Amino acid sequence: MYRFAHLADAHLGAHRDPIMRELEIKAFNLSLDRCIREKVDFILVCGDLFHVCIPDLAVVDEAVKKMRDAVDADIPIYVIYGSHDYSPNSTSIIDVLASAGIIRKIVDWELVGDKIRLNLFLEPRTGAKLTGISARRAGLEDRYYDILDRRSLEREPGFKIFAFHSALDEFKPADMSRMESFATSLLPKGFDYYAGGHVHDRSDNKLPGYEKIVYPGALFPKDARDLERTVKGEKRGFYIVSFDDEVRELEFVEVSVFDGLYIEHDVTDRTGEQANKGLQAKIEVEEVNGKLVLLKVAGQLSQGKTSDINFQAIRRQLLTAGAIHVEVNRHGVTSKEYQVITISGENVGEIEANLLKENIGSVKTSQPKLKGEEGLQLSKELLRMLRTESQLGEGKRDYETRVTTQGAEALGLREELEKK
Amino acid sequence: MSTCGQIIAGEIGKILIRQKAGERIELGDLLVVDDSEGYLLLQITDLIYGSQVPQISRELIAGMSLEGLGGGLEFLEPQLRNYVIASAKAVLSVSSKPHAPKMLPEFFGSVRHVSEKDLQFLSKPMNPMYLGKVRSGSKVLDVDVYVDGVEALTHHVLIPATTGRGKSNLVKVMLWNMIGQGKFGVLVLDPHDEYYGRTGKGLKNHPSAREGLEYYSTTAPPGTSTLVVNLSSIEPDHFEGLVRFSDVQQSALSLYSSEYGEEWIENIMRGTEVKGVQKVTLTVLQRVLRTTLALYFDGNELRCRNNVFSTSAGEATIASIIAALEDGKVVIVDTSRVGDEAELLIGSIIATQVFERHQLYKSTGQLEDKAPVSIVIEEAPRVLGAERLETVGPNIYSTIAREGRKFRVGLIAVTQLTSVIPREILTNMNTKIIFGNEMASERRAIMDSAAQDLSEDDRNIASLDMGEAIVSSIFTRFAVPIRVPLFEELAERETSRSRPSQKTVLIG
Amino acid sequence: MSESLRIVAQHLDRCFSEDQLGSPHLSSHNYRVHPFSPNYFRMIQSIDSESRMAFVDGGNAEIAGAPNFSIQLNRVYYNIFQGQRRVQPSRLSQRVQFISLTFANFRDGEIFFDTKIVPMNDEAEGLLPEDGDLSFSSMDRRLCLGGARADISRVASIARRFAEWRLATRVAEMELHSGDAVTMDGTLRTAFGNEAKYGAKAYETAKASDVIFSGLSKSSKLLTTTGLSLLAAVDRLAHESGYIGRWRYYPVADSLSPEHEAAIFIVRLHEQARYVFRYEIQAEQAKKLGDERLDTVLSQLSQNSYDPSFAGYPYGLIDAHIHARVPLEEVEPCRALLLSEVSRLGSWQKLNRQIRSGNAHSVIDALTGVSNR
Repeated sequence: MYRFAHLADAHLGAHRDPIMRELEIKAFNLSLDRCIREKVDFILVCGDLFHVCIPDLAVVDEAVKKMRDAVDADIPIYVIYGSHDYSPNSTSIIDVLASAGIIRKIVDWELVGDKIRLNLFLEPRTGAKLTGISARRAGLEDRYYDILDRRSLEREPGFKIFAFHSALDEFKPADMSRMESFATSLLPKGFDYYAGGHVHDRSDNKLPGYEKIVYPGALFPKDARDLERTVKGEKRGFYIVSFDDEVRELEFVEVSVFDGLYIEHDVTDRTGEQANKGLQAKIEVEEVNGKLVLLKVAGQLSQGKTSDINFQAIRRQLLTAGAIHVEVNRHGVTSKEYQVITISGENVGEIEANLLKENIGSVKTSQPKLKGEEGLQLSKELLRMLRTESQLGEGKRDYETRVTTQGAEALGLREELEKK
Repeated sequence: MSTCGQIIAGEIGKILIRQKAGERIELGDLLVVDDSEGYLLLQITDLIYGSQVPQISRELIAGMSLEGLGGGLEFLEPQLRNYVIASAKAVLSVSSKPHAPKMLPEFFGSVRHVSEKDLQFLSKPMNPMYLGKVRSGSKVLDVDVYVDGVEALTHHVLIPATTGRGKSNLVKVMLWNMIGQGKFGVLVLDPHDEYYGRTGKGLKNHPSAREGLEYYSTTAPPGTSTLVVNLSSIEPDHFEGLVRFSDVQQSALSLYSSEYGEEWIENIMRGTEVKGVQKVTLTVLQRVLRTTLALYFDGNELRCRNNVFSTSAGEATIASIIAALEDGKVVIVDTSRVGDEAELLIGSIIATQVFERHQLYKSTGQLEDKAPVSIVIEEAPRVLGAERLETVGPNIYSTIAREGRKFRVGLIAVTQLTSVIPREILTNMNTKIIFGNEMASERRAIMDSAAQDLSEDDRNIASLDMGEAIVSSIFTRFAVPIRVPLFEELAERETSRSRPSQKTVLIG
Repeated sequence: MSESLRIVAQHLDRCFSEDQLGSPHLSSHNYRVHPFSPNYFRMIQSIDSESRMAFVDGGNAEIAGAPNFSIQLNRVYYNIFQGQRRVQPSRLSQRVQFISLTFANFRDGEIFFDTKIVPMNDEAEGLLPEDGDLSFSSMDRRLCLGGARADISRVASIARRFAEWRLATRVAEMELHSGDAVTMDGTLRTAFGNEAKYGAKAYETAKASDVIFSGLSKSSKLLTTTGLSLLAAVDRLAHESGYIGRWRYYPVADSLSPEHEAAIFIVRLHEQARYVFRYEIQAEQAKKLGDERLDTVLSQLSQNSYDPSFAGYPYGLIDAHIHARVPLEEVEPCRALLLSEVSRLGSWQKLNRQIRSGNAHSVIDALTGVSNR
């Protein structure tokens, strides 16, 4: 019997807050420690190991230390790119680590005629055949699936694992219906294990022709939505899969690095002052010591502005009471008196997406890639790029050049830029 | 265009025209009478023989000819004395602006066949929904017929026809034209899996299929979505009008729903007791759900026989379908391997959510910015039939038929039997694309609820050949006779315009 | 009832017998009769010819009438055929319409019926009879029935007859060529007053144009000396003599009267014909026509009689009849217009009194549900 660990979406470097960053790397370290203890035959990371393609080197340093431990313990780490840690035009951290022998990229493909032929990687110790398709931005990898030579893969004998970093239509969470995804039918049939990534909720699924489609979920909550679900009870971790000529057992290994507390408060029909007082009273009675607190406030104030609620003070109050970290979600707070823009969404990501969606139609252009769905995805991608922070030691000019180059690449204007 | 006849008598609804010898006037032909201000468009509703020779003489002459006794006898000036009288109705008066005819044409006026130029007033609307080409009798003119898709779809479309007349072909042609426009969302409940084109040409071949078409099936071909609906998507209300529950059973459903939320079905199936629900009621509910949803237990796991319903997968299926509809896509749901009731239930879930969302949009003033959504429902009497509505009660489809227009949600109802649909629903269906029908009672039901006066068109409708139809709509100036192009030919023509091939670059 | 009819049938059967055909019986003063003979039959050949035949017919109907006036709508019409093919006229309008007002006029101790002709179209100019030729004594024997005064409406229809002569004359003059023929509906007998004048003019014109002038009657009241219908007797004779198919029988009788300058034929114009007809050619012309030309004329007439709607009757006359007749539906609006004009003049009362004096029977008919037309 062989075993492998299936991880995904560690998003190392996603958090700026030092506490969260520490917890994030702790989750990763604990996971690999567990893999080493369990003596798994290999580790498969299905994308978004890092949050960006060129992350903070301090984060890389920490990660590499632990990965080196695994490699030294004779546990190879196989990887595919995720939507965050790949780069279409420049070298990604994944490439560097692969070159250094820390990890191995398993995607090996070529164009044969108008079809993509995937060459399976034969895992030396277990004989498992691994292959997959890495992610691209905005779910564009589905174009590859359209022209994938599925038949040659389906005919391949032996124990096969298909790694992918995409949401599948049939297994998206209900609240993520607008998430980019593609149909399961695009995956080649008949693999023993479909190792997924990108969807941050854990699930173990099947469909006729697809025995095991597994998402381990995010190793550590990456954003507000993840955090809320974690705090509400969603377990974070990875899978250890036992197999011989088929999957025999699937064990979920929980990796918990904090105690979470979810506090929800409704300020409907309160004035700003009443809301303040109500919040203070509410959090006073909560047991927050040593916990990571997620405070969600929503409702329409009868009077006053949303800024009348002193969230900074609330935060301080919670931290003073011993919370290790406080996240406040106040996007649901509105004011009857001061209705400026109403954009629906429960978190920043959703709000941004809805705002862009509502306004993409007003963009007057003849360029098809700037319109409709394509334009929307491009906007999201550019926004993400523009958020990239400068790295340690990176000069202003270098930072500017990097961001400009990446933006131009995304817009398909790389050549024009180089001419200049 | 040369003269083909002359007006000899009649009244505004029945103008009699003598056909010129050697000319051909057909049932359904569009003819034109020119006058000083423009012209009058007529349509032929009947053809009878006329003769200067008395009937009794004609019978004798025919008898003599048949019995070989008429040697040496032949009609002198046969073209003058034996002829065809065409009965026509005035359909449109075209001068500076087309309007309903209010005057008779000039007595003894010459009549000619319609030409394409005469139909220039048939313009392409802003949101075009293509139906076919104008037909005059059996001749097809190179004039495209469109209705405004937004208006027509929200005011409902009825397609009455008996088997083999081409209604599926029409729906395919309509959908083909809509794909890629992004202006209308259309949900197609496809009980015969005939629209996508699993084998052979279908909507999948549309150049914009990738962006504008989605297909859900329990046996999804590569690139299409598997039809799987999570049980959590189903609410007790979705069964309304589809399954008849007694008051006690209804109340039990509500109790389970409020107690267990999204897991109400699973708990009923597992026999979890709820206060206030008798065991016998629970047993009945289990049986109904088992039958309707094809549920069974595999060990401890609740499964569905045809894999349509699931406890784990398909959480976002309904939401994705609705999102696609709101994005102006055509969504086909292959229900060929799904039972009748399950098909209607899936449709009911989607339709209910669409309807509710649109009600919300209206209340928040967003409705005008939303693409209208239409639902294609085959064998419409299953949900719109009078008997069904009386025995089982109203359902979401009948609600949409009655109220959907206000919320930009419509139906495209396909039916062989129009007479069983209540009149108040029929009159709400403001576009009728009428195919041939041999049954007089059905023709009567169609004509009685049409947007134009079709009382003289009984023969016309009875004689419609495959692919020939009449568009009677409040959005057309008159009942336009059309020929629906063969879908395969249309698809072949439009896909042969090859797209420039894109170079594939492998990244990752 | 049935017993009565049986008796009638038996008596009818005894009334006449076809055993003895007898001889044609016409007035001895005016005709020299030829006894029946099979030798007078001659088969009608099919002869190709370019010659044409014009057919003339007229119709009339009363617009309004009273014992002392009758207003008629009159119509006369012609067509031209070359065998079976219609020929378009080149100069003369095909249809002439006019209204005639015949009214009682007391003069010279007598009631005369005078007629005023009013044309209805420009084409009627030169084709209408003269008012003066249409004045008749109300006691003219030729018009009376029994000893009673002549019915004014019968007199009123004479105008139409005169117009037919006039039209036939103009057709012969303007539309036909040498060798052609014109056939009127009816005999060539000029029975009424100045009709002979019109007949003479017609013959003169025809002679000058070398156009044969003829007439064909749909029916005939001529009898034989054994009380048989003359036409039936000839038909029977043909059958007995083995003349099957198309034939002519001539002579029947020679006319001695200037009122009837005609050679009388009996003709059967088609093999399938069930009727034989009386056909007349202007006497002088008939004498001078050789057999060959006569055969040609009859061949043309026969070729025009192939229509199965009435086999053996010239299609040209069917067509002329259709175009010349005046149906009731046309008369009614005229009547309404006329009465409206009369009312405008303030004469309605006066007129209505006159009308009422003669139409009581129509009231009875209305009461008993019988049409009075």
